[in-house]
Amino acid sequence: MKCLLNHRSKFDKRMIRIVICILTMCLFQTLNAQDTTLITGTVTDIGGLPLPGVNILIKGTNIGSQTDFDGNFSIEASKGQTLVFSYIGLEAEETVIGDQTELSIIMDAKTSELEQIVVIGYGSQSRASITGSVVSIASDEIIKQPALTALQSIQGKVAGVNIIANDAPGATPTVIVRGLGTAQAGREPFYVVDGQPIQDIRSINPADIESIEFLKGASYANIYGIRAANGVILITTKKGKKGKAVFSFDSFYGVKTILNQVEMANAAQYTQYFNEESAASDGFLLQENQRYDTDWYDELIQLGSTTNHNFSVAGAGENIDYFFSYNFLEEEGINDSKFGRGTIRNNNTYHLFKDKFRITQNVNITYTNQNPKPFTAFNNAYRQSPLIPVYYDNGRFGQSFVNQTTGIAGYEAAEGESVGRLYPHGNPVSEIVFQDEDINTTTLQGQITAALDITDFLTFTGRFGATQFYSKQNTYNPIRERWLNADPRRTIEEFEAGRIDTDGDGIISTEFANNSLQVIDEEYYRWNLEGFLTFNKSFGRHNLSSTLGMSRENFGSRERVTAFGYDVFEEERLRSLGNRTSSFFDNTINQEFNQSTNLQSYFGRIEYDFDQKYFIRAVIRRDGTSDFVTGENFFDNFPAVSLGWTISNENFLKDNPTLTHLKIFAGWGQLGNANVPFNVQQVNTNAASGNQNYAFGPTQSLIFGASLGSPVAPLQWEITEEWEAGFDFSLFKSKLSGTVDYYNRRNTNAIINVQNILNSQSEGNFLAQAAEVSNTGIEALLNWKDQIGKDFSYNIGINFSTNENTVENVTPGFDGETGGTLVNGQITKRLADGEPLFSWWLLEADGVWQNQDEIDNNPSVGNAAPGHLRYVDQNDDGVIDDRDKKFFGSYLPTFNYGVTIGGTYKNIDFSIDGFGVGGNKIYNGLANTRLGGENITVETFNNRWTGEGSTNTAPGADRDALASSYWLEDGNYFRVNNITVGYTIDEISVINKARIYFTVQNPFIITQYSGFTPELNYDLDGDEYGDPKGTTGIELSAYPTTRAFILGLNLQL
Amino acid sequence: MNTRSKYLVPLLFLGIFMISCDDFVEDVEVVSPTAEESGEVFEPLQFVTGVYGRHTDFAYGFSFLGITEIISDNGDKGSSPTDTGNDKNLLDGLTHTTSSVSIRAMWTQWYKTIGRASLAIEYTETFEMSDEALRARLIAECKFLRALNYFWLVRSFGDIPLQHLDIINRVSTTEVYEYIEQDLLEAIDALPQKSEYEISDLGRVTRGAAQSLLAKVYLYQEKWQDAADMATTVINSGQYDLASDFATIWRASGENGIESIFELQARGEIIAHGIQQYSTSQGAKGTSGWGWGFNTPSEDLLNAFNAAGDDIRRDATIIFAGETLFDGREVSASVENPRYNEKAYSSANAGNGDGDKNIRILRFAEVLLIQAEALNELNQSSAAINALNRVRTRVNLPDITTTDQESLRELIWNERRLELAMEHDRWFDLIRTGQASSVMTAHGKPFITGKHELFPIPNDQLIQTPDMSQNPGW
Repeated sequence: MKCLLNHRSKFDKRMIRIVICILTMCLFQTLNAQDTTLITGTVTDIGGLPLPGVNILIKGTNIGSQTDFDGNFSIEASKGQTLVFSYIGLEAEETVIGDQTELSIIMDAKTSELEQIVVIGYGSQSRASITGSVVSIASDEIIKQPALTALQSIQGKVAGVNIIANDAPGATPTVIVRGLGTAQAGREPFYVVDGQPIQDIRSINPADIESIEFLKGASYANIYGIRAANGVILITTKKGKKGKAVFSFDSFYGVKTILNQVEMANAAQYTQYFNEESAASDGFLLQENQRYDTDWYDELIQLGSTTNHNFSVAGAGENIDYFFSYNFLEEEGINDSKFGRGTIRNNNTYHLFKDKFRITQNVNITYTNQNPKPFTAFNNAYRQSPLIPVYYDNGRFGQSFVNQTTGIAGYEAAEGESVGRLYPHGNPVSEIVFQDEDINTTTLQGQITAALDITDFLTFTGRFGATQFYSKQNTYNPIRERWLNADPRRTIEEFEAGRIDTDGDGIISTEFANNSLQVIDEEYYRWNLEGFLTFNKSFGRHNLSSTLGMSRENFGSRERVTAFGYDVFEEERLRSLGNRTSSFFDNTINQEFNQSTNLQSYFGRIEYDFDQKYFIRAVIRRDGTSDFVTGENFFDNFPAVSLGWTISNENFLKDNPTLTHLKIFAGWGQLGNANVPFNVQQVNTNAASGNQNYAFGPTQSLIFGASLGSPVAPLQWEITEEWEAGFDFSLFKSKLSGTVDYYNRRNTNAIINVQNILNSQSEGNFLAQAAEVSNTGIEALLNWKDQIGKDFSYNIGINFSTNENTVENVTPGFDGETGGTLVNGQITKRLADGEPLFSWWLLEADGVWQNQDEIDNNPSVGNAAPGHLRYVDQNDDGVIDDRDKKFFGSYLPTFNYGVTIGGTYKNIDFSIDGFGVGGNKIYNGLANTRLGGENITVETFNNRWTGEGSTNTAPGADRDALASSYWLEDGNYFRVNNITVGYTIDEISVINKARIYFTVQNPFIITQYSGFTPELNYDLDGDEYGDPKGTTGIELSAYPTTRAFILGLNLQL
Repeated sequence: MNTRSKYLVPLLFLGIFMISCDDFVEDVEVVSPTAEESGEVFEPLQFVTGVYGRHTDFAYGFSFLGITEIISDNGDKGSSPTDTGNDKNLLDGLTHTTSSVSIRAMWTQWYKTIGRASLAIEYTETFEMSDEALRARLIAECKFLRALNYFWLVRSFGDIPLQHLDIINRVSTTEVYEYIEQDLLEAIDALPQKSEYEISDLGRVTRGAAQSLLAKVYLYQEKWQDAADMATTVINSGQYDLASDFATIWRASGENGIESIFELQARGEIIAHGIQQYSTSQGAKGTSGWGWGFNTPSEDLLNAFNAAGDDIRRDATIIFAGETLFDGREVSASVENPRYNEKAYSSANAGNGDGDKNIRILRFAEVLLIQAEALNELNQSSAAINALNRVRTRVNLPDITTTDQESLRELIWNERRLELAMEHDRWFDLIRTGQASSVMTAHGKPFITGKHELFPIPNDQLIQTPDMSQNPGW
């Protein structure tokens, strides 16, 4: 049968048909009535206050009711039936109906974790039935730590989820679930918001989130098949609750400063260091009396800020519950970058036909505005000499000019004196000033979910969601100002002279364009459609539930139009490519379109338990994607099973006074990662200066040639297998609870980039599924909560996880891809069998050459000189080369931990959170990649070698720039990331609740690292975050970690 | 509605939903057409162009300088003391290692070019085309380029694998030379002379180029008679002559001139496509500079020019700090280094990554010197002197009169050094003639006899093919 849902237009019609179908069925839906009596009563909390919006359900049926604003309720029920009263955050109460018709129910404010509903993808389970590692994070944990994305807020709170934060405005944190399992494929976890897959987590306002579920265990994550290998993160947004409308207004403002500023050498120290270095190579010397003593970081860094306003209204009418929110967030970076975001969300659920048919609509509109600034300014500020001013007296930006004859930094020179440069790096402040970029995006996300209870145990859910994204990026480059400021001696006349076509050949170098403007328009569209049946029924003590469904998605299409031109108007409002100050240079335009991916999936799940004691669960997902149609295996099945045993429900433990709950579980599952690169191109051609092309003829016309690429080897998606085992427990009436588990996860066919044999015929590299990546670890979570007296309650949470990452079973000769390339061409990482992914691979530094004699009598690198680092000749062949490089571990931490302490005393609440990582090494690329002539830190200055016998640890001012273990440092750190104190006032006039709070984010960090931040997830190559083969783990241009002081106010009406 | 139909309806429509929709995944519109769909047919000519194109790689702009001139007594590393140029400092100091990137780059570059040439030959042989003459010529062009790259390999590494036989087992130098000779002889048969080409084909391999290379290959093997004969054939072909003004050979006006036998082509105009960075890497560095300042003519070379009273070739080969160049460019006295390579200088595109600088690979003067050297070894010194003096006369140097074989040999070698300075031959001449040890030692470099005659097989190659043997001493 030909598929009906092939195209978007067809499929829209189809959707209408589905809805009509569901509606029609509902009209015919009938209900059997029973003999009943009217039960009335009130529900109050332990303080005697009425509870509005409590759900009341007759057990084993779908008949229910709710309390009104005064806590009153009424329901038709018959004798012998059990009423279940439930309310979010309170322990459910059950009452068997006897003869009485009026009830007075008191609900205890103690939450029961086991009753908690956990979202698991295409359905949910109660916490008590979960047989795998699924971690839930509630909204209060998220909003406590203000950040752009919810993931950054919960850094250090989920064992086994390593979140590397990035404090730059608009940055996304890197999230690694249970270890990094891939070298070449996508590393992003799969995000699903209310059932809808999303592209960019930044489009979700953290304050809209009700809960986040991390499906860590493969037996749970595998329901998302070929996109689950990097972990699945399910986000549920808020809904309206029964009762009167609740208006919330949350607002905070904070200022940000740099947390860990490195002290740089001053003018005197710099001069001395420079002269020591210069003397070694007979260069010129600097004079001691210089004109400036600039502190470049002081000049570059400003006070950042963060502003947030959130407004929401939530409530429910008779047949509809609603949630509406508006959020505005603005971050201003310490480098003058800006990121602003507005979100509007509306979640409504319509309860129809006595709640047998529910339609939920989720709409989310996000718009952002960003003015990024180059991170390279941080790198250049590190290198700037204090002898150079930010601005010269003539108003131009200071550059590294020095009069080599007089030894005074500056561009002025008398006749016969020569002017040179101290180093090639430009002025970082000018980089910030000249960067003029404006990015605006709009994301429209919408979804409709229809759920129909066919019977009391069978529900059908259908869902359609779509996302449309637009982005416009304008980049203005003031070429003229940059040209003039690159050298203070340049004049406007010289620039204008460059604009004259003296030889009349119609060509002027674009070096002399006044400016340029680039406009990039980008958009994408994606949609998801799914339908599934949920069966849920108990047969005596046998509880059975199952899910069966299919889904279909289209994503990955992206259109990008880039227009570029020179000589536009300078005024921002006039900047356009259509109307320019001169049309000498041609505009260029380029359009690209990425092919989208169609994904077709089927899934089935069966969950069975006997008497809430013995659990078994089996899941199967079948996925097919259009990306692999021409390749192998474009459909495959991903199975999973898990088992659980709640020992505490056995008779022998049932009434144990100490042990409240104990369950052991184990699971196995397969996950896929289809976001893989392909071997494609067979014939290489190039439209510009590629090495296929050549010039022939008297005028040397460019002739375009071709060359054959590597023979194509087919690839399929990566398959990860995992098994895990663990136990949940709670003791002392649930005061102490926790989970401990072990996992063993293996990417069975990891793709690696293989270099063709150097002397073979084939050119270029090729990709091959030629390795395995294993991640194993232990995760533990402990929570203690208690109350002392009436007024004081507190909780302490600790989580700890380990991870061991290893590349294994590499096809012989196929490993050895290098990475972590520094700006000076030095390589720092290598992929090798038996080591973590892209481990540090460096020469081992072992002291400092004290004198020429030592160098002459020992193996050394060429050009070694006293004061240089000496390296170990690992293979004892008398030569120092690549064969002497050694593995030094990884930038990936081997353990993470987090601590949360919170408490309330009367109206005061407080909390302290901290987390840390350990076992990782990070590379101080800032200090290492010094070409010569640049500034150094005070620490480098003080520790340096100054002559024979001065030190055998740190090199002197004259040193080499080889990558070595000397620059590798411990990446261990512990950071207190949040201290909050709040005060709550209840009921003043119309305000139901008001809370004022003060938060310090990142008040302090304990680390031995000598740079700005040990959290290094930014890659120099473009915008990529966390690429293991890139400069992740190397500090070069990292945005420093910031400390924030935040004052906030919550109001509830 | 009865109970049964209550289940039936939704099940039915879920069923419709689910039935055999697998072809949904085959339903994506293909946006990037495959080569077939675009109707693009690749002509053999394009792949042959690709073989030429490989010679514009960055390897020739930087690594090549290191292993041909910087390593020798002609060139110094240059640039600023702290800028190592990856490993140029090591090559300059003769402390290079098996992991020196310049050596690896050229090893790889040459083998990949050979790969392209073989693939292009294969493609051309099987491609349906009506012009059999063109087919034969294209194959011959590739054979020359393959031979040229094998020649560069064999004189650098000694025994090497022949790619079409096996990429691990190294065959003897003799066998490699046999293969090179075979390619060149076949190429000579099929190639047109320089004057027989269409003007638009200027820059392609000619019969004269193949003959000249073959003469050089014979010379390296000390097949004196063959070398002399082949050189004589080129000299008598009437296709080439010495350019009258030595200095203009390396200017844009001198490209593909009467003296040119084979040169790598580069264009500076947009779309520019040159030998990547060749001029920039050797351009003056610092104030008023336009390049990175590598591969600077050594003081030793300057002394050699001065000792010979050879002002013309000295001034055409060396840019001196403080001089004003022929095109009016003033080179500041305070540039980083005292001397730069003028043969790499481009007037129009001095600092451009893609410049118009052609690299002269074979020119008539060298063929004369090959003839002179071979004839001298064959004891025909008077004929040898004729060829030698042709080269000297052009640069206003007095005629050589000695017919003593020993002293004439020394004179010819020195002539080669001065005539071909900075043209990427010096190091191999030193090795070939057995002067390397004494010259380099006198130059203050730690030359080890039995080791430094050959470059090491790159360490990365040995990691990939551990069964391949290393050169002696490495």
